[in-house]
Order: sequence, then C-alpha cells, then structure tokens
Amino acid sequence: MAELTQNEKKLLAALEPLKTAGPDTLSQVLGTREDAVIQHAYLLADRGLAEVMRSTEVSYRLTGEGIEYGEKGLPERQLYQSFGDSIPLADLSKNPLSRIGIGQMRRKGWVTIKDGIVTKTGTAAESDEEHALCDPSSGGRGVKDLVKRGLLVEEETVSIRIRITPEGTAMVRAGLDLTEETGTLTRDQIISGAWKDLTLRRYDVEKLPKRVYPGKIHPYQRLIDHMRHVLLEMGFTEIQGSIVQSAFWNFDALFQPQDHPAREMQDTFYLSEKIPVPGGYERVRDMHLFGGETTSTGWGGAWSQEKAEQCVLRTHTTSLSIQHLACNPEPPVKAFCISRVYRREAIDPTHLPEFEQLEGIVMDEGVSFRHLLGYLKEFYGRMGFDDVRFRPAYFPYTEPSVEPEVYVDGLGWVEMGGAGIFREEVTAPWGIHHPVLAWGLGVSRMAMLRLGLKDLRLLYRSDIEWIRETPTWIPEHRGRR
Amino acid sequence: MAIITLPYRYLESLVGTDKKTIISRLPMIGSDIERIEEDHADVEFFPDRPDLFSVEGVARAMRGFLGIETGLPDYKVSPPETTFSIDPGLAAIRPYLGSAVIRDLHFDEESITSLMGLQEALHWAVGRGRSKVAIGVHDMDKVKGPFHYIAAPRDRSFIPLDYDKEMTMEEILAEHPKGKAYAHIVQDFARFPLIVDDEDRVLSFPPIINGELTRVTEETRNILLDTTGTDPKAVKIAVAIICTALAENGARIEGVTIEGSTWPDLGPTERNVSASECNRLLGLTLPPTGIAGLLEKMRFSAVAGEGDTIRVGVPCYRADIMHDWDIFEDAAIAYGYENFDARISSTFAIGKENPVQAVMGAIRELVSGLGYLEVLPFTLTNERTLYTRMRRPMQECALKILHPISEDHTLVRTSILPLLLETLQANRHRELPQRIFAVGDVIEGMHTIQKLACVSTHPGADFSEAYATADALCRELSLSYKAVGSHDGAFIEGRRGDIVCKEKISGVFGEIHPAVLNAFELEHPVAAVELDLTAVPGYPATPGSP
Repeated sequence: MAELTQNEKKLLAALEPLKTAGPDTLSQVLGTREDAVIQHAYLLADRGLAEVMRSTEVSYRLTGEGIEYGEKGLPERQLYQSFGDSIPLADLSKNPLSRIGIGQMRRKGWVTIKDGIVTKTGTAAESDEEHALCDPSSGGRGVKDLVKRGLLVEEETVSIRIRITPEGTAMVRAGLDLTEETGTLTRDQIISGAWKDLTLRRYDVEKLPKRVYPGKIHPYQRLIDHMRHVLLEMGFTEIQGSIVQSAFWNFDALFQPQDHPAREMQDTFYLSEKIPVPGGYERVRDMHLFGGETTSTGWGGAWSQEKAEQCVLRTHTTSLSIQHLACNPEPPVKAFCISRVYRREAIDPTHLPEFEQLEGIVMDEGVSFRHLLGYLKEFYGRMGFDDVRFRPAYFPYTEPSVEPEVYVDGLGWVEMGGAGIFREEVTAPWGIHHPVLAWGLGVSRMAMLRLGLKDLRLLYRSDIEWIRETPTWIPEHRGRR
Repeated sequence: MAIITLPYRYLESLVGTDKKTIISRLPMIGSDIERIEEDHADVEFFPDRPDLFSVEGVARAMRGFLGIETGLPDYKVSPPETTFSIDPGLAAIRPYLGSAVIRDLHFDEESITSLMGLQEALHWAVGRGRSKVAIGVHDMDKVKGPFHYIAAPRDRSFIPLDYDKEMTMEEILAEHPKGKAYAHIVQDFARFPLIVDDEDRVLSFPPIINGELTRVTEETRNILLDTTGTDPKAVKIAVAIICTALAENGARIEGVTIEGSTWPDLGPTERNVSASECNRLLGLTLPPTGIAGLLEKMRFSAVAGEGDTIRVGVPCYRADIMHDWDIFEDAAIAYGYENFDARISSTFAIGKENPVQAVMGAIRELVSGLGYLEVLPFTLTNERTLYTRMRRPMQECALKILHPISEDHTLVRTSILPLLLETLQANRHRELPQRIFAVGDVIEGMHTIQKLACVSTHPGADFSEAYATADALCRELSLSYKAVGSHDGAFIEGRRGDIVCKEKISGVFGEIHPAVLNAFELEHPVAAVELDLTAVPGYPATPGSP
C-alpha cells in the first residue's frame, strides 16, 4: 500500500487518543478547516484506518413569529385571556388577534359561538401546541401543527463522527513520522541550501499522470515523408507541379486518345478555362493521327486542338512526369512525385475525389523491362513488403505494362499500383530516345493498410482524437545485403 | 474492363485440358479472376484485348499459352455469294460497313449467350457505346440478298426486335429502350441508316435495333453479320473478332462483296520486328528463334529470318497491335513475368528534395513545435464555406468546376483557414484546448501555390495569442514583415492584422469574428494565422504554373 500523506498521518495521530470525534474537534486540534478534516478522514477510511459515520438529525427552529408567540402566548390564548365569560362576537372581532384566534378557540373547544355571542366553555388546558412551543424538541402532534402554522421550521443536520479502527490504532502505536513535508521547492530553498534540511513529499508513481498531447505531424503525412525519403535515398529527384493541367499534358501527351472514356465529364473534373497548346504540339498530334515517325499506326481518326486546350484538375501525377521529361530529355533522369490528384468519383469508404498518388520514373540508356521489375521489388521491399509478384496489365501510355502484387498478412495478395515502360508514342515527340520506366500507386490505399483504417475518409476528415491517440510511427529500417 | 463468363464445360472442350490448369494460368496472360463459381468463372480482361471477350477467344489464346496449339490460327473464307451495297447518302451519316456470312452454326444456350455477350462487350470496348461501330447479327434464312445499306426517310417503319407491331424509326428513337439509349448517335440527321434485303424487308436500323424478322435463335443455321460505324478500323476489327469466334466453334465463314471488295479479310497483318530491339526493351538475351517461339505461343506467326529480323504475322482479331513494342509485350507475357531476372539498373543519380517540399517540411516541424496537430483537409470546397460563412467577398479568380460531384465540392480552395474552421466544427465535442494546422496547395488564378494556416481554440484564445504565433513563425522563418491593420471580414475589427512583406499582403492573423464562429457552430474564441508560403525565404522563384 502506498504511503500515507502528511495530512492523513496528522489526522490519524490526532484521532488515536480521542478514539471517536467530530470534525469540529479535530479541526481545532489540527488547526485546519473542517472540510479538509473530512476529506482526509475519507482517505483514511479508504485504507481501512478509520471509519466515517454520517448521521442525520432533525431539529426544529422557531420562526420569528414563533418566538413572538412564545413570549406572549399563542393568539388564541391571548384572545381567550382578553375577555370574561362571554363577549359579543362583533366586539371580539375588533381585536387584531381575532382573525386567527377565534377559529383556533373554536377548534380547540374553548368557546362556543351562538347568536353572535362568544361564550367560554370551561377551562382551556394547555394545548399540545403550547407545549411544543415551549419545548420544540419534545416532538408529538403539537410540533407538526406548529410547522403547519408556520411557527416552527424543521431542519436536517448531518453530523459526522470519525472513529479510528483497530488497524489505525495499531499503525499509530507502531509510530508515525510526522515531520513537515515540502511540496514544490522554492528558489530560496534551492539557492540557500535550506533544501538539505527539508523532507520532500513523495508522489505515488502508480497513480496515472495527466495526459498531455504533443503537437505533431499527421500520421498519414509521416507515411508520405517516409516514402519520399525512400526514393531520395535511391537517388530520385522530387518534382512538383500545378493542380491545373491542360488536357494536352494530362491526356494527349500521354497518348490517351481524345475519345477515351476517362476523358469524359463523368470521370474527370473540367474547368472552364483554357490553356494554349505548347510549342511542339504538332508532334503529339501526328503521333495520334498516324504514329509520327515511329513504327506505330497511331489512333487514326481526328485530333482536335480545342479539346487539347481544355483545362482539367490533374487526374494523375504522370502529367507532371512527362513535362519533366520534356524539359530533361537527356539521360539519366530519376524523378518522383507524391501529390494530390483528382477523379470525379462519388465519396464512399474506398473512393474520394482527391487523394495522393506516387509516381517514379527512370530514364537511362539501356534500361529495360527487367530493370523495371527490379525497381518495383526494391521500392516495395523498402516499404515493408518482402513478397512481390508481377502480372501483365494494361495502361494506355505504357507497353509492356505490369501490375505488382504484394503479400499482406491477413489479406493475401493485394494489387498495389501499376507500372510499365512509356510507349514510344509518348516519349518520341520530346526527343527522348531511351526507355522510360514508370510506376505509380495510390498512396492513400497503402496508408489504409499501414494505419489500419477501413475508411479512406478518415485520412482527410480529421478526428482530433484519432490524431492525438495515434503514436508516432518510426519505420523499420530494413537492412539489405 | 469487361467481365466475361467462362462456363467450365464449354471452356474445357474448346481448350482441350482441365479447368484447374486453365484457371490457374489465366491471370498470367493478363486478366483478373473476379469470381469462381461451381460451374463457371467470371473473369475480367483489359479493354485493349476485345478478342478475349468470348469463351472462344479465351480458349484460342489459352491453347497457345499452354502450348496445346501454337502459331497463327488459320481461318478460311469461302468465296462470296452475297453482295452488299452502300448508299452514298450515308457518307456524312455513318459511312463504313463490314459484313460476313457465317454458315453451319449449331448453337446451344452457352454458345448463343457467348455471342450476345461478345457483341455487347465489343460495343463497349471498341464501339465507344455503338458510335464507332455497332454490330448486328441476322438469321440469313429469313431474308434474301443482295443486301442494301441505305439512308432512309425517318418515317420508314418496320417491326423492331422484341415488339409485335410496326414502328417508324422516329417512334423507335422516342419509345424503344434501345432507341432512347442511342438516339443521340443519329437523331440530328435528315435520314437514318437502314439495312434492307432485296425485297425491301428491314434487317436493322443501325446502330439502334435489329428487326424482329431476322432474330437469331438456337435454331439459326446461317448468319449474316453487319457492322456499321464511323471508324473503319473499329468496323473491320469487329467483323474479324466475331467471325473468328464463331469459326472457333466449328462454323464456316463465307465472303460478302461490298462495293467490289471482299469481306471479311481474316488474313494476318505482316510486321517485321527486330530481335535485338526486343531483347533490349525486355532485358533478355534470347536468340531470334527463341523470340519467335514465344510469339507463336501468343498465336502470332513468327519466322526468324536472316540476321536480326523476325517476320511476324499479326492475327486479324488483335485490335491492340499498333507499334512493334505491342508485339514485344506479348513475348514478355509468353516468357512469363515471373521468370525475369528482376534487378535495378546501375543508373546513378543523386536524390534531391523539391524546394517547395523542403519549405513545407520545415514549417511542419516548426508549427508542431508550437504544439499544433497537423490535419489534412480537402482542397475541394464550396462558396458557402470559402466565402459566405467566412464573411469574405467572392473572388473572381476562384476556379469553378464545371460538373461537380456534389454541392460541397464546387471550387478549389484559395485559403486554408475555412477548412480548418470546418475541422474544428467536426471536432467541437472533443477536449479543449484544440490547436490544429494545415499546410498545402491552394489556387491563385491558374497557379498553384502553398499556404499555412493554424487555429487555436480554448476559453482564453485571443488576439495576443494569434499575434504572438504569427510573430514566432515569421521570426523562425527569417521572414521580415510589418503588421498593419487588416480589413479581413473573417476577423474581429480591431483584433486583426495583415502580415506585409515587401509591400505585399502575405498573411493575416487575429481573433475570428463571432459571426463566423456562429456559422461554424463554434462556442469558444479562435485565434488564427494564415501565411502565404511564397513570401518565405527559400521558396523557389517560379511558382508551379501549368
């Protein structure tokens, strides 16, 4: 059992000789307030060292009116004594006490009233009420009547008695150390050396402390920063760009045909603004129409400059990647981006209109499909997924395409993003002569796995309680080789 | 993506091996198994492989992939006995026509379901909802050739499929379910496309609906196929896919002469590819004969010729071979993605953090050091939240989304502060004090820039706290500023200041106005700061512009 506080010890010591006492006595002995004595008594009671007994007493108090009648007599008595054997009612009524007194005299049978004459019946013995008026504590019917007449007030008093238990007595007999204890040290005590002679109050370490919540970076942001670090460590340059993109860079430059379903109003957020096509756009146009100077047949059909100049909220980070490559066509290029993208999707537990997407690209002389698979293994390995497998996939701007799957305990094989080599139709217009390996994944989905969330919306509709209670995650650093 | 139902019995009979082997290897050809049932599996294939949208097509591919039957499938076309004319008036309406005759059909429930499913899947994947191509199949024994594809008057009538009385084409567009669904493709034309036989009986009203007359049933032995559309490639591939699927189940293909040309052309397209380019792209070192062998498994014909060249024959039903690399991907699939020696390249580059991200990272540390929790609100918001509830005037530069998904997401945010107040509103029953911040993208005109906003709410939150916070931030970021009285309606007059750097307002701080607090259902004072990060030293000179 934890140690008694100083106050508890003092109370116990004061109580022992008295055995039982009220808080008033104890507060005088200890020189503290009664409510403090009671508080400490309860603490002792929790430990079984004392007993706190409450009793309720009813007492009576005369009201002001009651006191007056106590001296002069009840109105009916005074009235009774004011006349002889009989008196006309009219005359008696002139007496100010008659209003109450006449009724009471009749009720008690002290008088009769007939033909306007009030006549005494005989003796008027002391009534219960008069008895109670002299001694309210006597109880009985009289007290109740006086209370009804507003001459007496009933009061409840709680009285507390504190009694020491045999365990408490034993503890006192064993000896209590009653030296004065210090709480918070003052500056003077510290610098003067007075602290050497002080006893410092001890605190109970088993009592839980107050909860303090530090400021912190959002757990999802931590995951994103971890992914950024993984890619920076692998030698990638971070790119960043505008939320608003022209359809040219978001779709056409990525060889997505102008009649592709993803370009429709249902799937993409369009804006009313327009951005003119950039210089060199003809090469992209020709790629769509007949494959330019590559071995491609192109899509055929028509190509509208107007459609390419429409503005959208970017639907993938790939629109930033291709612009980066267009500005950096010489090898090597290793770049990545983790940014918000926008899709016109109804909100439900696994779909949102905006979410984070990661994209990584490697462009270099001699890179190939097997290197792409190697980057995927390396990246997912560093993200904590040691088991990765690959399946054929399809994306409009990559060929070959691949879908990585990672093994998650409890879920089995989970599809995690997509990858491929940019089609030559995408890279040739910008003078990029070497293959571009590219991979991307929805970061929000990975966060749901890592943070154990079932609902994507929790990442963005912050519950302060969840942020406070989610501990700071430090990623495992996996050693390789 | 198209989901195809593969009944095991039918699949096994076409492939020639057990369903367990087939199903286990199916994903490695490029597919997603959606559902495994007792007697069938539902499998999803990619939109660039419409030749796989039927059991027959899948079986053909799997026979090659499993090594049971490799190389180019050979489809014979008997000499034509039917002709089809095209009305020149269709040139501006729906100019392209493809056709074939398919004989000796023996349908059962599974094969007829497969054919109907294939038609619908092709309409979706290749036809773009029937506008690029629409497919019709007709019981040929109910009509008599030669056939005519004409531009007919809109009030021409016939009995459409599933109905028992005649309707004009106008009426069909207005009342028939298929008419209503696809009216937009033709309704603006003065005349409508129509296919009739030599006795002027109607076979179909493309792309809307066939006539009831030529309905195909399990009893049908001979089919006339028509494909019409606005894209010649789509029309051709649809004919090839349907003909070859039916041929796989034993039917005989017979030609049709259309304006002098013989349809269908089920022969391969020739492409010469470079074996070394294939090896380079894939990271392999196979001899040309090795690559040719892989391509044969994918049902190409492939002959390693002299030196580096491989002569490849691409089957007529492959819609996706546009570039040599499309062929190389098939070689990779045949090789097996699981067999590649996956290793990263030796490309050396030194990683570099983006300067905007560096600024944002430093700010996150700084503000969390002041005791604030980071939140990540949406960037999509609406006028009521961004302006009305904030007592701020509408800005012309706010970017409006043309077709928003809901009233709550109609604009891209220009300020983060309103989103933080919304977050406080959602958390108003949580313990106080609450201090939250967010740093991220906002729109300024067409440009994307970044801002920081932080709010603190508790019974003692006031102007002094807001000013002290703003001052601490600017000091830590080495941002020299001047505070001047602000006119921002979101704050209490006399308790608000603008942060001015180099003559430009770069931020604001103060105590939020009680009318704003009421609008967000907040009950305690809020001290707030918002800062434009473009003013911070270290932020790059050119903001992210489109």
